[in-house]
Order: sequence, then structure tokens, then C-alpha cells
Amino acid sequence: MALKDIYEAVLAFNKDAAADGVRYELEAGNEIDKILNEGLIGAMDEVGKRYSSGEFFVPEMLQAAQAMKAGLEVLKPHLSSEHTTSKGVIVIGTVKGDLHDIGKNLVAMMMEGAGFKVVDLGADIDTEKFVKAAVEHSASVVALSALLTTTMPAMEATIVAVKEAGIAAKTIIGGAPVTRAYADKIGADGYSDDAPGAVELARKMMTT
Amino acid sequence: MNKAILNFKQKNLDTIHKYSLQLLHDTGIKFPSEKALEIFKKHGFHIDGEIVFFEEKDIQKTIEAVPSAFSVKARNPEKSIRIEEDNYVMAPGYGPPFIIEPSGEKRDATMADVNKFCKLVQTSKYLDFNSSIVVQPTEVPQETAHLDILLATLLMTDKPIMGSSVSEMAARDSLKLAEVIWGNTDEPIMISLVDSLSPLQYAAEMVDSIMVYAEAGQPLIVHSSCSLGSTGPITIAGSLVISNATTLAGICLAQLINPGTPIVYGLGGSPTDMKTGGYINASPEDAKHVAIVTAMGRYYNMPCRSQGALTESFSLDYQAGMESAILMTTAALSGVNVSLHACGTYGSMLAMSYEKFIADEDLCGAIKKLIQPVEFTEDAFSMDMIKELGTSGNYLMQTHTMKRCRSEFFIPDLNIRTIHSKWLKMEPRDITLRAAEILEKRLNEYKKPEIDQDVEKRLVKYVKERKGA
Repeated sequence: MALKDIYEAVLAFNKDAAADGVRYELEAGNEIDKILNEGLIGAMDEVGKRYSSGEFFVPEMLQAAQAMKAGLEVLKPHLSSEHTTSKGVIVIGTVKGDLHDIGKNLVAMMMEGAGFKVVDLGADIDTEKFVKAAVEHSASVVALSALLTTTMPAMEATIVAVKEAGIAAKTIIGGAPVTRAYADKIGADGYSDDAPGAVELARKMMTT
Repeated sequence: MNKAILNFKQKNLDTIHKYSLQLLHDTGIKFPSEKALEIFKKHGFHIDGEIVFFEEKDIQKTIEAVPSAFSVKARNPEKSIRIEEDNYVMAPGYGPPFIIEPSGEKRDATMADVNKFCKLVQTSKYLDFNSSIVVQPTEVPQETAHLDILLATLLMTDKPIMGSSVSEMAARDSLKLAEVIWGNTDEPIMISLVDSLSPLQYAAEMVDSIMVYAEAGQPLIVHSSCSLGSTGPITIAGSLVISNATTLAGICLAQLINPGTPIVYGLGGSPTDMKTGGYINASPEDAKHVAIVTAMGRYYNMPCRSQGALTESFSLDYQAGMESAILMTTAALSGVNVSLHACGTYGSMLAMSYEKFIADEDLCGAIKKLIQPVEFTEDAFSMDMIKELGTSGNYLMQTHTMKRCRSEFFIPDLNIRTIHSKWLKMEPRDITLRAAEILEKRLNEYKKPEIDQDVEKRLVKYVKERKGA
């Protein structure tokens, strides 16, 4: 009964109810796996479906993710290394010389909502910082954003640096002036013209 | 009540101003520039890191220093423009790196497009100045693209131009190129756009541009805008305070450097598309901000700038017409003084289209006619003629009618006025194809404006040397 309460709490964007639900289940001695997968992750999968169908708007999806996080915080101390809560690590940032970050923030928030661990470096990030973070966090994906045509060359420089560092991370790029043709030209592993597409890309990259 | 959007209550404007002062005083605005921070410090402003805090007296001095009107000279003196209340000047798109073809395909913009748009601006009946970066060419090195753009703009058009604000160097290059034509002058010979970053900050290149142009006494459009619900509150009131405070801060810097620097006050606001988190800017909310910027401009006694004929559409359809017209009509009826993007943009300013440009020119022409004051001269009343004709009413035959038949009404170039049977036989009938025909005609009509050969050589030499450097 209460597992469903956690699920519903997430779908109702209710942080307190989600946390309380998890607490109740833990005290009742319920299986950690079930709380995690059926209560929390299962709820986020449904949130994802409702967002894709247009039923949930972006702020609602983000609030649902917050509620799920609140429940997860209560569960965390009880999780063992077998329990994977993260689908992979995304290092993301806006490239050097560019302060624009709305799109990047949206991608970061959606990646987190989709179950990735996101290391958001912020804006105006130089190549070395991207590489350092990718190494430090064992990134699965390095995601680069730019809004200015004048800062797009920094994307190529970062991709080259990531490759030269010899790390396994894939690179994906996006931003208003960026195109698929440009991504192919500079050797990015992927390109998306919107945030949901970026999440899909990252998901696909985890399975290959 | 349905005119409320055009008649803001004084107390609400006072509150926007009061809260802006509060924000400027308590939260401050970020200026990521050592040089700018030094200037603020020198004038006694409180700084914390890169955040500058403003006292009410600083803002009051700023407002008092800004001229309420100014002119911008054109290479052809007859085309110089006046930026002042009761005047509305228009420029085409500014900055998109893409072109949308009639097929709907999106492609990168190039210098060939810059040149083509120069021809259109030069032959335009309705555009008053050249935004210079009508498109951002992507095939040339980006660090020197502004040189290629400005050279084309100065040689191919003789209307007033915009300077570049992509970097300090680009701003200085803009002034140097202008110097070749006008010599060393502090009279306004270009106007440049500075956009802040919401919330509450400026990017370094924009701060640099403020400083370079203000020092040279060259006008600036200082513009701030929030993405409602994303970089500012979802509610207009809150986002207004952010944008107003940020714009005032940028204008303040300009006035500290050079009191009396001509300014056009810019403020916008766009709803975030809550379904995708994306940026949209052709909405009724954007149109509300067009009305708001005029109210704020009048409040501060500064000329004001709005967006132009924007649309989310990517083709010449009802949506493109509707959205573009709502924005331009609101601008006209509010009393906006400057609009950028008045011709040619699609898809939230991401792309330009030649066909949309041609279509928007009819819109600009119609708008200019709309705001042209009704003439109340004796000749316009034509009482003698009315009494003489009485009930016979045959005005088509009168000399009075004939004298004015080409100038009294707006005559569209693209929009149709025909009977149905003729419409059925039109070839082509599709508006996009008809726009393409007009485009061809305009490009063929284009004549390069006269320029002193020595001036031209020096302009070309400057660009060549700077690119080679």
C-alpha cells in the first residue's frame, strides 16, 4: 500500500510525502530494492512518459524529480554498492567565452531527472576543466553547450582534448547555432537540437 | 480596460522603479571586467567581487544625463535618422546564423547572404538603418567576421549602420572603419546593441562594448530581457524589475564614462515554453513588453527599443503573419522609437528568410502608414470641393484625388488586392513564390551607392591589414 504512496507522492510533486513514504516503508522492514525500483525509479519512469506525451510540463517534471530526490535522500544510507541509482555520469558545461546557460541548465536538470549523475561545471568553462572533471568523475558523457558562433570553436578544442586524454567518455554538443553537420565536422559523438533529445542520446550511449 | 496595457498606472511604474533601485542597492549587478569595476570604484560605488551596487543618486544622475533625442548620421546625409519621441525607425534582423529556404530547409548563412541583405536594405522603402549583422556569416573566421560584415555594409549601403559588439576589438574596429569615412568625430555615426544576460549581469564583451562606444560618444541600445519562468520570475512584474535594474546599470556605466552618451532604452520579456523549456519570443507576452518598454522609456525620458516582426514559424504562413503583426502593431500604437528585427526573421530569431523579409516590408510599410498622423489641413478637409460636389459624389474624377492617389494610401508590393477570378488565374499565386519574384527584381534594381574611391580603398586596406594581422 505504502509503496504506491511513494509513487503517487512523486507524481504529485510532494517532497515531504515522498520522504515520509520511504521512511514508513523502511520502518515496516520492506525490501530496499522494491522501495527504490517500484517506489522511486518507477515513479520517475512514469514522469518521463507523461513529460514525453506532453501531459507534464517542464517545471512539473522538475518538481517530481525533486520529490524523488527527497525520497532517495532518506533511502541512501540503506543502499549498498549493488544498488545503482545512477545510469551514468554526465559532465556538462557551457564552453569557454560563453556565459549562456539556460539550455545547458535544462539539459542538466533533465539528465538528473532521467537518473543520471550530473556534474554541472557551469558556464565559461575551459578545455582543461572539462577534461579534469571527466577524469575525476569517470564521466560517461561530456556534454558541451554554446550559444555564440564565436565560442563554437571552443567545442572542437574540448572534444580534441577529451580524446587526447584517452578517456572513454563520449562527447555530445548542442546550442542554438550548433548543427548536426557541425557536430560531425568537429568529431563529436552526438548532437541534439533539444534537451529531451540529449537525454535520449545519453541513454543510448549507456547501452552501447 | 482593454487599453490598460497601453496606459500604465503611474503608481505601477513608480513601483517598478522603486524595486529596481532596491535590487540595484541590495543585490547589485555583475560586471565581469576589471576596467569597468575600476571605473565604478573611482566614482565611489560599492563593489563586492564583480558585483556593483548602486545608490539612488547614481541612478538619478544617470537618468538626467541621457539625452531624450539624438540623430545618427548616414553616409548619405539625406538618410540620417532621428531617434526621438514620435519617431519610429526600423532595421532588419540582427544576428541569426541561419537562412530558411522556401523549401523549409535550414542552411548556414554566409557572406553572400550578408551582401544580398545589404542590397535589400539599400533598396528598401521602409527600413531606416542597416543592422549590419543582418545575418552572421559562418564560413568566415569568427574573430574577424565583423570586419567582413562592416566592410560590406559600408560599401553596399549608405543608410546608418550598427557597430559590432561581439568583442572590444570588434567595437574598436567599427569605430576605426567609421573614422575612415567621417574622420575623428564624436557625432553619432553608428548605433550599437548591448544585451545584458539575465538575471542581473553583463557578459564581458558587452561591458567592453559599452566602454568603447561610450568613450567615443557613440549611441548604445542597452537591452535587458528575462525568459519568464527560466531566467526571471514567471510573472512579468518580477522579471521587469530584473530587466529594468540591469538596463539602468549598463546605462549608468556609459554615463560615468561619458555623460550624455546617447542611449536607447531596451527591455523585453519572453515566456519560456513550459512544454519544452525552450525560448520563444513572438508571443502576446512579448507584445506586452513592447508596450511596457515604451512606458518605461517615457518614464525615464529616453527613446526606447522593441523587437520587430518576430515569429516562431518557419514559413510564410498565417502564424508568421499574425505573430509579426501583433508585435509590430503593438510597437506602433505604443510609440516605440526603434525596432530591430523588423524584417526577415523566423523561428525565434534563429534564422533569416529572404521571402519573409519581402513580406515584412509590406508589414513595415503598413505600420508606418498606420502611425502617420491624420492630416487636418484645409486641403485635407477640402470643404469647397465637398460643398460643390454635394450629392453627386464623384470624387474619382477630381484633381484633388488624382494629386494624392499614389501617396495617400499604403500600396502593398506583395499583399494582393484583386477579385477572385483574377486571383484564381494568378501565376504564381503562392505568397512565397511571389515574394521570391520581388526579391529577384529588387536584387536586379540594386545600385551600389556612391563612395569616394580613396575612402573605399582605405576601408578595404584596413580590413585586409586587420585580417592579415
